[in-house]
Amino acid sequence: MPYFGSEETVKELKRALSNPNVQADRLRYKSYITKVIRYMTQGLDVSALFMDMVKASATVDIVQKKLVYLYMCTYASDKPDLALLAINTLRKDCADPNPMVRGLALRNMCNFRMPGMTEYIEQPIVAGLRDKASYVRRVAVLGCAKMHSLQPRTEIDGSLVNELYALLRDPDPVVVVNCLRALEDILKDEGGVVINKPIAHHLLNRLKDLDCWAQSEVLTFLLRYRPRNDDELFDILSLLDPFLQSSQSHVAISTLRLFLHLAAAHPAVQADALLCSSAPLLATCGAASRELRFAGLCHIQQVMRSQPALFNTHYKRFFCGYSEPSYIKFRKMEILVALVNDENVALVLEEMKSYCTDVSAELAQAAIAAIGRIGRTYSEKCLDILTGLLALKQDHITSAVIQTFRDLVWFCPQCTAAVCLTVESCVDYPQDSEGKQALLWLLGEHADQISSAPYLLEVYIDGLKTELSAALKMEILTAALKMFLRRPAETQDMLGRLLHYCIEEESDMCVRDRALLYYRLLQRGIEETRKVVTGPKSDPSLSVLTSAQEEPVSQWVSIFNTLGPLSAADLQLHNTALSASEHTDDTADTELLTEHVPVSMRDVSEAGVSLCAGAAVSPEAFEQMWQQLEVLQRQTVCFSGCAADTLQSALQPVHIQTLAFSPARALPWRAYIYSRGSGTLVLAELLQDDPEMLTVTIKQQPEHQQTVTAFISVLQSVLQTLNTGQMSV
Amino acid sequence: MIGGLFIYNHKGEVLISRVYRDDIGRNAVDAFRVNVIHARQQVRSPVTNIARTSFFHVKRSNIWLAAVTKQNVNAAMVFEFLYKMCDVMTAYFGKISEENIKNNFVLIYELLDEILDFGYPQNSETGALKTFITQQGIKGQHQTKEEQSQITSQVTGQIGWRREGIKYRRNELFLDVLESVNLLMSPQGQVLSAHVSGRVVMKSYLSGMPECKFGMNDKIVIDKQGKGGTTDDAGKSGKQSIAIDDCTFHQCVRLSKFDSERSISFIPPDGEYELMRYRTTKDIILPFRVIPLVREVGRTKLEVKVVIKSNFKPSLLAQKIEVRIPTPLNTSGVQVICMKGKAKYKASENAIVWKIKRMAGMKESQISAEIELLPTNDKKKWARPPISMNFEVPFAPSGLKVRYLKVFESKLNYSDHDVIKWVRYIGRSGIYETRC
Repeated sequence: MPYFGSEETVKELKRALSNPNVQADRLRYKSYITKVIRYMTQGLDVSALFMDMVKASATVDIVQKKLVYLYMCTYASDKPDLALLAINTLRKDCADPNPMVRGLALRNMCNFRMPGMTEYIEQPIVAGLRDKASYVRRVAVLGCAKMHSLQPRTEIDGSLVNELYALLRDPDPVVVVNCLRALEDILKDEGGVVINKPIAHHLLNRLKDLDCWAQSEVLTFLLRYRPRNDDELFDILSLLDPFLQSSQSHVAISTLRLFLHLAAAHPAVQADALLCSSAPLLATCGAASRELRFAGLCHIQQVMRSQPALFNTHYKRFFCGYSEPSYIKFRKMEILVALVNDENVALVLEEMKSYCTDVSAELAQAAIAAIGRIGRTYSEKCLDILTGLLALKQDHITSAVIQTFRDLVWFCPQCTAAVCLTVESCVDYPQDSEGKQALLWLLGEHADQISSAPYLLEVYIDGLKTELSAALKMEILTAALKMFLRRPAETQDMLGRLLHYCIEEESDMCVRDRALLYYRLLQRGIEETRKVVTGPKSDPSLSVLTSAQEEPVSQWVSIFNTLGPLSAADLQLHNTALSASEHTDDTADTELLTEHVPVSMRDVSEAGVSLCAGAAVSPEAFEQMWQQLEVLQRQTVCFSGCAADTLQSALQPVHIQTLAFSPARALPWRAYIYSRGSGTLVLAELLQDDPEMLTVTIKQQPEHQQTVTAFISVLQSVLQTLNTGQMSV
Repeated sequence: MIGGLFIYNHKGEVLISRVYRDDIGRNAVDAFRVNVIHARQQVRSPVTNIARTSFFHVKRSNIWLAAVTKQNVNAAMVFEFLYKMCDVMTAYFGKISEENIKNNFVLIYELLDEILDFGYPQNSETGALKTFITQQGIKGQHQTKEEQSQITSQVTGQIGWRREGIKYRRNELFLDVLESVNLLMSPQGQVLSAHVSGRVVMKSYLSGMPECKFGMNDKIVIDKQGKGGTTDDAGKSGKQSIAIDDCTFHQCVRLSKFDSERSISFIPPDGEYELMRYRTTKDIILPFRVIPLVREVGRTKLEVKVVIKSNFKPSLLAQKIEVRIPTPLNTSGVQVICMKGKAKYKASENAIVWKIKRMAGMKESQISAEIELLPTNDKKKWARPPISMNFEVPFAPSGLKVRYLKVFESKLNYSDHDVIKWVRYIGRSGIYETRC
């Protein structure tokens, strides 16, 4: 932040700080130091005062010391040579009889970010680890992590790591947790701190002494531990049980995650845990602070992915308050849509109806879309409401309703007649591009049921010249063509005009190409065109869009209690509302959406190593390795065989290379493939001596079980798709 | 974990900035300002992701608190931490406002230094923090040997929330049952949703390491004890007991004992703290009933009549009653007649605000207003926001009663009878809305 006259200010401060009169008056001196920090906060560069500030550190006043340290930590990296001057004072303070002074000095010394610092802080840190005051020990333990982050490339000091592991048994709970945190940072490249059985049990027993932040973190660390047998597992679970009901929602959620993770093989236990933690989750949703409520709602949504019925009786808790921010309302609407059942449908719809007239257009549209989603099961009631909304004659509502109609007709063909009737009697038509497109689609698709359709379409065709959106023009073209096939007499003339205009005068390439395509299609004859344009549509019931079945817990547990559930990527209503309200140029939001993807992606790839093609392996090298290596795994897969090039092209995108294969229809048929992942090379032989079965033999160098698992799962899915493809053919 | 903490005023000027981790650059402060505080549209989410850095923010009045991190952290924890941070600051200097933050700027930096180290939460109990924060300047030199040893014992002690050797001349404790009652009612008087979220706040001034036992009229507790043998007037207690949906305790409460015996026993921290938090949804006493009547007379006039009925013992007095009746945006003038209190039309807030200082139970009061509207060609229908209400009543709307609080201290010789105990109930309105 550039300040007018900033240089003047710095000079003035410098003069004041070096003035002996000021230095003699302790209070005045301190007030100047405070001023320096204030300017620093505001972003002014006050690094020129470093020398004077170092002098000010030699004081008995602890507050002044703290301020000067804060200053020095900020600018030490810019002035390493001057910062060295302060180190002597700090080292002296590290030996002070007062533990608070010792801790303060050590902490700040570790905070200095400059090269060559390690040699000065190593000895005080080691001394600090053995200090009798736990306050100093806490600081020293984290100091180890800071020291490591100063020089991340250096070799890890084994004795220090051992000392930290030993300190896990410290009587002070904060020291224990700090040790975990420090070890995690230091050993990051080796996969973080190792949780073995004694450590895990020790942590579990200490859990109740820790403060809530530490509990939450320890529970996350414990995710790494795998109990040996079921007895141990249930011992652990019974220790964890009280924390499921913890007063702090984040501890409760962390515990739930650990529970679900540990009991992965016991679905009944998982279900119990979910039931048990539904109360704290609901409490979070009623929390006083809106941010926590938001986090709670997001986590409830995750839980509902596998247990949709868990919150059925509590649906009223998800009614929106008038003053709640829109991000909460969006989530609540999503949840309400998922909770609808025969008993509550009337009340929920009544509630949703009141949101449709919300002040925020975006929210109103989302509410209408939500009613549309409920309409897929309870179409009659929803159609009444939606038709009623049209009477309000407000542009954004009309547009959203028409769009909802389009989707509804697609999902429930039985309400087509009712929708067509409504559209026909509708007087007020949408004004925005999205709404117009939806209307045009309805007109084209159901021209035979909407008697006034050609006249409505004509208005749009006449207004084509002033239309800007290319997408809308394409929709007009498609609608006109479909209508022509159904009602040729009324449409022929305008279709001709439309095609002529689009081919001769239109400047947008896509529109022109589409018009040409339709024109040439029509030249082939009406029957041909009908076959192409009004051919059978895909069945929406098979689509991924409608999948509402219960997912296994393992689908979401890996991102539970992280940032994942809070990301907007999975918000259906929000997205439709976004696209509807023409905010697509909203950069901040797109950034938000895309930025969140890596979070979940990373989690996935951590769990299941990704494959990569890497450099090609020559046939000779392959053969040599194949003979040398031991067989790692052998597996049979159902596979009825296919052409070699199909297999090759199917394996290519998943980064599996094909080296050689025997000619088609030969029995036994063989293929050799390979892939890379996590620095290892996986070799495999596919052998088919039975027309239905395929034997996969896998060898690997160097061994890495996760990569093999990933490889097999990828291969299996490819073979399965090839199988199904063959059957349909 | 937390890479940095920033505090901004409503204009987006940085008041406090503390960076804990190297991966958070100095430009992070500006990134949040530009993308969130100065953004044109509404806040989309309390978590904002800018260039692979997550910003968690909380707003208190017009102050923004933001925590920054590059890691995939536990969101609920970061938010809880920010609230805790607010609580600690409030405990030190009162309300969080721009002026207070500027005045206590040194203190906040001190706090930030102690609460977080390298981005990890270290110590967030206000009581325990007091030993480390030297508010009144020079203390280091004059610190007595006794105080020093106190720090050592405090920081090594097993019980993090209470230090040893506390002495009071008068052993006293204050128990406040603070509840906020939330209601959403349909125009026809049907309760759409209602719940009470309550807190039991305790201020303890007790010597030594006292062991406390707390009892209330919770259904489960009473049932459990009833089975134990004392079956005297079970019917009576059954009527008075309440069903708590869920409750959570301060970390000092022994949870294992609560689970097995349903007794709440603990060694309390010194000073003020929150003993428990609970929520009830059944048998709530709704202190007020709002009956709205809105009639549209033509296109330029609106008649509103609102009746409020108090529904509690006539001997009790509700205070600070405020009814807020929203008016349409195109209101040109309002005439109000009310039987009690004062009512005023506030054009800036688009609402009629009706204030009554005091009102006894089982009474009724009424306001009627004529609202004149400017004719507009805006076709948009008025959305009719709900009528909201604020009040304070001297009882617990959930029906919770404190039955006993016993204090045992074996080492020092004072008994339960010597402790002076005070209990107070305050019921406040949370979001108390009636649709019209």
